[in-house]
Amino acid sequence: MTLLDYARGPVIQAALVIMIAGIIWRLLGVLVLTRAADLSRPRDAFGNFKGYRTVFSRAWPSSEFLTATRYQTVMAYVFHLATLVVVIGIVPHIEFIQGLTGASWPGLPNGVGVACGIIALASLVALIMRRLTKPAVYCSTWGDYFAWFVVAMPLVTGLMAFAHLGPRYETLLALHILAAALFFAWFPFGKLMHAFWFVFSRAQSGIAYARKGVQI
Amino acid sequence: MNTATLVPEFPTFAEIVQGLGAQIKQLRALAPRPTLPESVRVQRAIATLIAETNADEAVWLESCIRCGQCTTACHYFQATGNTKYAPLRKMNLYRRIYQRELGPFRWWYRLITPPVTLQDLEELQELVFDSCTECGRCTMVCPMGIDIASLVHHQRSALVAAELVPPELAAVQTEQKHQGTAFGASPEALHRMVETIRTQTGIEIPLDKPKAEVMVLTSAVDVVGNARGLWATARVMNHLGVDWTICSDAFESANFGLLSGDMGLWKKQVDLIVAAAKRIGAKTLVIAECGHAYPALRWNPTLKGEELPFEMMYISEYLGRQAEAGRLRLRPLQGRVTYHDPCKTGRRGGAFAEPRAVLKALQADFVEMPANKEFNWCCGGGAGIFLLERATPLRDAAFRIKMQQVDQTGAETVLLSCASCRLNFEAGRQKNQWNKRIESLVELVAEHLIDEGTAAAEGAA
Amino acid sequence: MSKEISLGGFLRSQGISRRAFLGFCSTLASAMTIPSGMIEVMAKTLEQTRRPAVIWLSFQECTGCTESLLRSHAPSIESLIFDFISLDYHHTLQAASGSAAERAREETMHRHAGEYLVLVDGSVPKIRHYSTIAGVSNLDMLVETAAGAAAILAVGTCSAYGGLPKANPNPTQALSIGEIIKDKPIVNIPGCPPIPLAITGVIAYYLTMGSLPPLDHLGRPLAFFGENIHDRCYRRPFYDRGLFAESFDDEGARKGWCLYKLGCKAPETYNACAHVKWNQGTSFPIQSGHGCIGCSEPDFWDRGGIYTSTPQGRFDSELSLTLAASLGVVVGAGAAVLARRKKHRVEQELADEASAPESQTST
Repeated sequence: MTLLDYARGPVIQAALVIMIAGIIWRLLGVLVLTRAADLSRPRDAFGNFKGYRTVFSRAWPSSEFLTATRYQTVMAYVFHLATLVVVIGIVPHIEFIQGLTGASWPGLPNGVGVACGIIALASLVALIMRRLTKPAVYCSTWGDYFAWFVVAMPLVTGLMAFAHLGPRYETLLALHILAAALFFAWFPFGKLMHAFWFVFSRAQSGIAYARKGVQI
Repeated sequence: MNTATLVPEFPTFAEIVQGLGAQIKQLRALAPRPTLPESVRVQRAIATLIAETNADEAVWLESCIRCGQCTTACHYFQATGNTKYAPLRKMNLYRRIYQRELGPFRWWYRLITPPVTLQDLEELQELVFDSCTECGRCTMVCPMGIDIASLVHHQRSALVAAELVPPELAAVQTEQKHQGTAFGASPEALHRMVETIRTQTGIEIPLDKPKAEVMVLTSAVDVVGNARGLWATARVMNHLGVDWTICSDAFESANFGLLSGDMGLWKKQVDLIVAAAKRIGAKTLVIAECGHAYPALRWNPTLKGEELPFEMMYISEYLGRQAEAGRLRLRPLQGRVTYHDPCKTGRRGGAFAEPRAVLKALQADFVEMPANKEFNWCCGGGAGIFLLERATPLRDAAFRIKMQQVDQTGAETVLLSCASCRLNFEAGRQKNQWNKRIESLVELVAEHLIDEGTAAAEGAA
Repeated sequence: MSKEISLGGFLRSQGISRRAFLGFCSTLASAMTIPSGMIEVMAKTLEQTRRPAVIWLSFQECTGCTESLLRSHAPSIESLIFDFISLDYHHTLQAASGSAAERAREETMHRHAGEYLVLVDGSVPKIRHYSTIAGVSNLDMLVETAAGAAAILAVGTCSAYGGLPKANPNPTQALSIGEIIKDKPIVNIPGCPPIPLAITGVIAYYLTMGSLPPLDHLGRPLAFFGENIHDRCYRRPFYDRGLFAESFDDEGARKGWCLYKLGCKAPETYNACAHVKWNQGTSFPIQSGHGCIGCSEPDFWDRGGIYTSTPQGRFDSELSLTLAASLGVVVGAGAAVLARRKKHRVEQELADEASAPESQTST
């Protein structure tokens, strides 16, 4: 069995199994916990409902904090959007997703994929440089660096495979799939889960504050 | 002139701050010593956090990505640049306990994380007491919207269980728990103060009426020190001509249960007030200028608000509504003024519009601070921190941010509506020889009332 | 059998001019990355070469590899070189049969011990009785024949890597030549079938240089298997532009767009198809509209479907992911329910503790 067969067979399968089981495990393990009732009288009857807007409104910092958070916000957006384009835009990824789900859509030319991949990697480097140079602000744990690593690796190996840099193509492809498998397998356990938590976390705070008539 | 005769000769707030400072120094000696064995204290802290952790807390603890943005919002971090005061650090121990005890992967985390020790909890003390006023400003910037302040509060509860409340707070908490008073503000002290006000100014305070429409709370600071505060409250209530009273068995707004994190004491104090309000058939409960009393009562999650026969209001809220209804007749306020939203009534209470309505009624030259309302910078003295001697350097550093904010408005007066903020502002003003006047909203309103009734009372006295 | 005729003489007797032969040599030289200065030497050496003795063993195979070499429309220099070698034993082609045929093999082994080449097509069953020739099992015949060989050329994917006979569930327990013979130089010339030039090229190289050509990690001559078909494919620009045939009869297929989505294995297949092509350079599978099936790679038959594209996962996603989700639901909800119980228990303990000292102080 070649490395590629190993990667796109049992390894990616195991990684996806871990990811799906892990995500559901962690989400339910938290969301099914007890819920505290807030019995106080809301400032207005629609207070709670209005709280849900925080899920969306918090997508951009308020003007009060814009200057302080601009660099990080812009870089994070560039990273997330460029990565999203790469993940769902290039044909090999669409093929992989189609193999899993049956869904398919038109892909982008390779040049666009490579450009977005480079932008994503560059913004990721820009973010880690900031984390490294301002330790007081970030209070980083090993989990932060590891999360960065598992996100950066698929980008690096993917770009290398696209550019045919280094080892043979199928080896690079295998390494890319292995890197993606590491990402999938790590996803439920570290801070990558913020992809799910942000909805709940923002909504909770939004509701709690909206109850008191404060729009956050 | 008319006003000159109206303003009583009470000690100024500046003098009260100095007096209170001396009293606070003695608190350290009064603090209870830990009585339980180390392991029990740790175990009780953990148990308290387990009991107070629901899905909301769990989600917040899970959500942090250590993006570091909260540091830009926290006055203690901004003032000191010290990494340990970063808000995100204030969740770390709680997260560890949560991950080990309740989290979905607890079996794994118990293998890879060290158990919590008393030393961990001792180190936590500075983070959740000295360097967090639970002002919630970090929540405003957090991309995940994590309510760090509420998480800090749960940790305060844990430290109560571990007998690790800072000495000054522990002393007052113990006093309130066992004597039912704070700073010696007993019913007798209240009676004495009511009498003093009556004899000095002729203002009548209807104490212990069996039935009243409005029940008014006061606070220890007013009862044992700042007579002017109680005088002003009474003067305004009399001016409005409402049927009001103060109950001598339930007059205290200050809740050192909530401040220290002692949930049992919190509830006990609240129950006293609710029982008294029900007894006298009050329709409205007015909370004195004591910021944390607002969340302790109005936003108390265990009080079924819809079923209570009365409405709870902060005094600034009450005044604002009266002003909007045109029931306050006021002389215009001279000079430029800015308003400081106390964290507990502002960002964490939502009473933004009402105090501003009062300022409008005062026809004030009112200028907002650059960061205001939900973005207001905390003065650095809330949530009991004003009492902590150890936290003085931190508090002083944080106050400089507030001074800059005020200075930028060009106002000569800072108006606020919270005794805790006011003590801290006044102390900061004295230390920095700051050329601003610090005024309480109620007192300012009382001083600017146009009132024939008072003139008549004056004449009678 | 002992006609001492040179290759040059033989080719000229077949009507091949020296110019055409030189052309062949330079093609070969460039294909095998032999320096151009060597072309003359190569041509000269080849021309004067005496017929090498070759034993061709056919085991579990389909004869496609032999056909590939012989069934050219017009006789090519490749097939003529094949004609030239002294093919002393090839049970499909030789006129002799029975014990006479076997005698020919033994004679060559004896007379040219240590010099003869062994070409093998077909895999060898480990279970001996599944394939025998003249009562001798393939395994025994291979071991016996290989003992005196100078080198072995495993022609076709079956002999190089086991090929079709080795495909799941491999009922004969088929083995490749390399899995059996460990002490002889082996050149794998895989493909189903291999490109004829690759076979004759290796023979020519061996005859000229006296050694075997450089090989890749799978034992294949780099000259023919050093490059990925995808990199050499004339449809590559369509891949780069994101233009793909979605089915075999759509607009994209008619326009000759990339067959990647239809399962073309070119990105993971190393062979000379895209530039040497087949049938004297007429075409190759991708050119005729079908994706590469990756036949020159080990175990190509078992590496997912022919129409499963390269990046698609090779596993039952529906079943395994459904099971994973169910596991997550059960364990996650279970963990939360246990945590809730623990929380209620702890709350009760705290409440008991709180009421205990109070009752003591009140009494």
